[in-house]
Formats: sequence, C-alpha cells, structure tokens
Amino acid sequence: MLIRQLIVISLRSIKTNKSRSLLTTLGVIIGVASVILLVSVGAGLKDYITNQMQDMGSNLVMVMPGEIDLDKVGMGSSSMTQSIAAMSSSKLKLEHLSEIEREVPQITDAVGLIMSSASIRYKNESMTSQIIGTTDNFTDVRSYDYSSGGFFSKADVNSGRKVIVLGHKVADELFEDIYIVGEKIKVNDYRYVVVGVIEERGGEGSMSPDDKVYIPITMAQRQFGQDSLGIIFAQVDTTDNVPAALTGIENVLNIRLDEDEFTVLDQKEILSTVSGILNTLTAALGSIAAISLLVGGIGIMNIMLVSVTERTQEIGLRKAIGAKPEVILAQFLTEAVILSVGGGFIGILLGSGIALLLNHLMPTTVTLWSVLLAFVVSAGIGIIFGVAPAKQASQLSPIEALRHE
Amino acid sequence: MKLPMLKMKKNSKVILKTKNVTKEYRMDGVVVKAIQKITLVIKKGEFIAITGPSGSGKSTLMHIIGCLDIPTSGEVFLDEHKVSRMSESKLAVIRNKKIGFVFQTFNLLKKTSALENVMLPMSYNGTSEEESTKRASEVLKDVGLEDRQYHHPSQLSGGQQQRVAIARALVINPSIILADEPTGNLDSKSGKEIMEIIKDLHRQGKTIAIVTHDPKVAVQAERVIKLKDGRIKK
Repeated sequence: MLIRQLIVISLRSIKTNKSRSLLTTLGVIIGVASVILLVSVGAGLKDYITNQMQDMGSNLVMVMPGEIDLDKVGMGSSSMTQSIAAMSSSKLKLEHLSEIEREVPQITDAVGLIMSSASIRYKNESMTSQIIGTTDNFTDVRSYDYSSGGFFSKADVNSGRKVIVLGHKVADELFEDIYIVGEKIKVNDYRYVVVGVIEERGGEGSMSPDDKVYIPITMAQRQFGQDSLGIIFAQVDTTDNVPAALTGIENVLNIRLDEDEFTVLDQKEILSTVSGILNTLTAALGSIAAISLLVGGIGIMNIMLVSVTERTQEIGLRKAIGAKPEVILAQFLTEAVILSVGGGFIGILLGSGIALLLNHLMPTTVTLWSVLLAFVVSAGIGIIFGVAPAKQASQLSPIEALRHE
Repeated sequence: MKLPMLKMKKNSKVILKTKNVTKEYRMDGVVVKAIQKITLVIKKGEFIAITGPSGSGKSTLMHIIGCLDIPTSGEVFLDEHKVSRMSESKLAVIRNKKIGFVFQTFNLLKKTSALENVMLPMSYNGTSEEESTKRASEVLKDVGLEDRQYHHPSQLSGGQQQRVAIARALVINPSIILADEPTGNLDSKSGKEIMEIIKDLHRQGKTIAIVTHDPKVAVQAERVIKLKDGRIKK
C-alpha cells in the first residue's frame, strides 16, 4: 500500500469526523501555539535588552557601587538586593570621576549619574518621573537631538544652577508643547528652568530618555541630600582598549576605595549575564508550555482509541479482504500523525500570529528553532501516542471485528 | 449475463481441501469443539451450500475455509497452499488473492463510493490506481450498477449494496467466492436477484460456497453439506 493511499484514507476518515478531529487537535494546537508564543516572548525580551545595551555603544564601561558578582545575579535575589543596597550607600564620588578621566588614558569621557524619582509640577499638571542628575558631558556618551534648546553646560554643573532638560514624553504630558525653553517647573519643592527638550527617541526602559528629566549633578546631590554617585559611565576610545581601561579604572579607584566598594563592568560581561538569565527564562517558559503539548498528545491517543473501537467493523473488513496487520497499523498511525502535525501546523500559525500581534505591546521574536522544534515534537507526539491505538487496531481478529455490531 | 453454461468435469481441479479439521474454543475454561474432524473437498466450478442450525459450526467452518482463522488440528489446502499453519500476514495475502467474501451485512465502507469500495481489495496488493479503477468499473457494470458507481452505500438499496459487495469479491478474480448468508438482510425480491447473480457466476465457472440456514437458498446449490454439532451429517 502506497503512502499516498494511506494519507488519502486517513484524510477521509478525519474529514468524516470533522468536529471530533478538530477537538482532538485542539490540545496540540494550544500546546504548540503556547510554546511558540512563550518562547517568542522570552526571545523578544532578550533581543530587546541586547539592543538596548548595544545602543549604549560597545566602548562603554560602567562603574557600579558595591561588589557585584555577575555569576550570582539571577541565581537568587540576594545579590540583586545587595547591589541595590550598595547603590544607596555608594562610596563613588565626583572626585573619582575626574580622576578616572585624568589618570586612565584610554578613557575619553566619564559621566556620573544619580538616579531618583520625584514629582514634577507645572501649574496644575503634575507627574512622577525619573530624575537623572548628571554632568554636562553626558551628551558625549549619549548623543541626543533636541526639539528645542539643548543640554546644560559645564558652568551650570559647576555652579549648581537649577536648570532642567526634559524627555519628550515628560514635556508632552506637562506642557503639551515642546517649545518651552525658559518655562519654570517644580521638582519636589525646587524650582527649575527648562533649558532643553530631547527629541522623541522611542523605546522604553532604562536607556530611553523619553520619560526622564536631567538636572546638573551638583543640584541633584543637594536636592536628594547625597554626595555620592549612583553609577559612572566611562567611554573608552576604542573597543580594543576596553580591557586596559577596565584595569586602569580599577587601579585608580583602588587607591581611595576598598575592593568591595565598587565594581567595574564592561558591556560584554553584562550582556552575557543578562542573556544567560533570559535563556533560562525562555527555556522555563517553553517547558511549561510543553506540558500542554503532552496533554494534547494524550488527547490524540484517547480519541484514536475511541476511533478504533468505533471502526472495529471497518478494520475487520479491511483485514478480511487482505490488509495485513502492518498496513492497519500504518493506517492508524498515519491518521494520528496527520492529526498531530495538522494541529502543530495550525498551532505554529496561531502562536506566531499572536506573537506578531503582541509585538505592539511588548517585544516578541518568533524564533525559527521554536517553530521547527514545535513541528518535530508534534509529529513525535502523533507517533508516540498513535502507536498504542494503532497496535490495538492491527491486532483485532478479523472474525471478531466483522461480528462487531 | 448470458454466458453458456460450462460443463462440469468429473476430474476437475481441487480448489479447497480440508482434512480432519477440528476447531476448539476455550470458553470460561471449558473447551468447546466448534467443528470436529471435517474432511471436505471443493472442486473448481462447484457451487456448494454449507447449512445447518445455529451452533452447528457452519460459521467456524466458513472462517477456516476463508482463511480468516486457522484450525486447532487438521490441515487445510487452498490452491495447493497449506493455509492451516500460516502467519496472519501470509493469510492476509492469501485472502487478498484467492478469496472473495460476501457478507450478510454487506460490510461496505460508509461515505465511500461504490467504485472505491470495489477498488479496496486492490489497494492492498499494489495494483495501480488506473488499473483498479478500470477493473472495478467493469465489474460494477457486470453486476448491473454502471450508473451507481459514484453513489455511497447510504444512497443504495440493500440489494444494490449486496451487488457492490459481490463486485468487490469478484474484482480480484478469486479462486473461491464465500458468501455468508448473502440474502439474510434482504427482502425476498432482492434476495432472489442476488441468488440469480450467484447462480450466473456459477454458470460462468466460478467456484462458490454459500453458508446459509435457509433451506430455500441451500437447495439452489449443486451440493449441500449439512452440519450438525460440528460434524458433517451424512
């Protein structure tokens, strides 16, 4: 018997029981769709974060307060909370910033940041935003375009003037306008003068300037009552010099600080840690979804067993007129595989479709490996869960089967 | 079907031979002998009827003759093949090549056209689709259903369905046609028509064995084998 004939017979029997076949495949459809969807969410998140990091430029080195063991990040929350605690008791100071700039030859710029959040008010409008206190050379590390005005100057920083640069979203929400240079707004109880509005940059999260406001670091230290820095970004002249710069910064800081009071990281290290965490997350999400695939497979086996019982007479006739047991086995196995692969195919379309739709709300990336894996797994499920019913069918005695009413 | 009746030859070829065939079943620990020491010869071109009351073993005998089952002891030869000790796969091939079954309940595949039902046996022996279609179509014409080829069993009368089943048996050009109560589910008029077709096939030289409990059907055969309590009644 030709494979084509087996497929024709199987398709006919699937078509004869349309609604039952659809319900049977539903388990596989949902399983495959959720595997693809969840993996695409994990992969999308990874792509998104990777892009954000790369956006910073590959020559960027970070100095964080406290001791951070990257290998332990993600293993548990303890080192995360530790690093957050370290940030508030930071020992990094503005002096270190200039020392790094001065003493490490590979560093072209070093920028210090204080991050906090505060409520911003303009007349009756108010909102909570992330405030970033930084130095004027911030623009050398992160180059933005301005809808109006520009970034504050060295003089502003040195004399601690109350000037502020707004992200696009902030300006939009408070003023519904972008030509607002010279307007006064209040950050908590301090009155600031707007000197610039950064053009819309898109994206979300820590790297997008849209929902942030920037003030001179000297002013931020005063306003938030701290004399330390939350983080230092340092720009290295070439990518090749990154390792040398890392050691350079460490040597400079070791003079004044203890080893456990700061951590110097480059982008590559952070990236590999983050993608490690996200790979684990993706795998975990995928495995949870895979359980529903298993359930789908059991559904197929269940329906195939019912189908064998129901079609006992047909099986008996086929055997009586010359179908060998192997052929009957192949017929029912083909049917199970068609059901599961068909379900897998619909599930792939459904999962990818939902992932693409979701892309407007959150980053999703449909990966080829998840599609291929889902397809292979669904075919495998058809075979594994189809064997038992097919075996049962093939072992029916033609006499008993023909007698069956 | 107006073919001249073929003269029977006294020493024509033996199609089927059983020798001391016994079949035992085990039911709730008790051994039941369905048939005992049946010795029987069916020659080419013969038309026999196997008859007897229910429980006489006629169905069991038909299953063994039809290679659907193997005997507990004794030997069965079909066209000189010893079929009494064959594996299930080999028996399937024998049934596919040499036996044309006609059942009481027709046993046609639902939602499958008459033509495809007749083509079914050929799908198990590698006949090309083109060839199967051609042959199935011819045989359906022989049983008078050339205009019903694409009808499904549910669209056919009982008599027509049984004619499709006969066509399905004939299409492989079997050594023997085995009919199990072929008129059992039919009204008397359709039953008569079916018997006419069977007798016609006999006139064309086909070997036919019919199993029936109906004496009116049995008398139409050339030779009647009466079974009682699993033995041939002399």
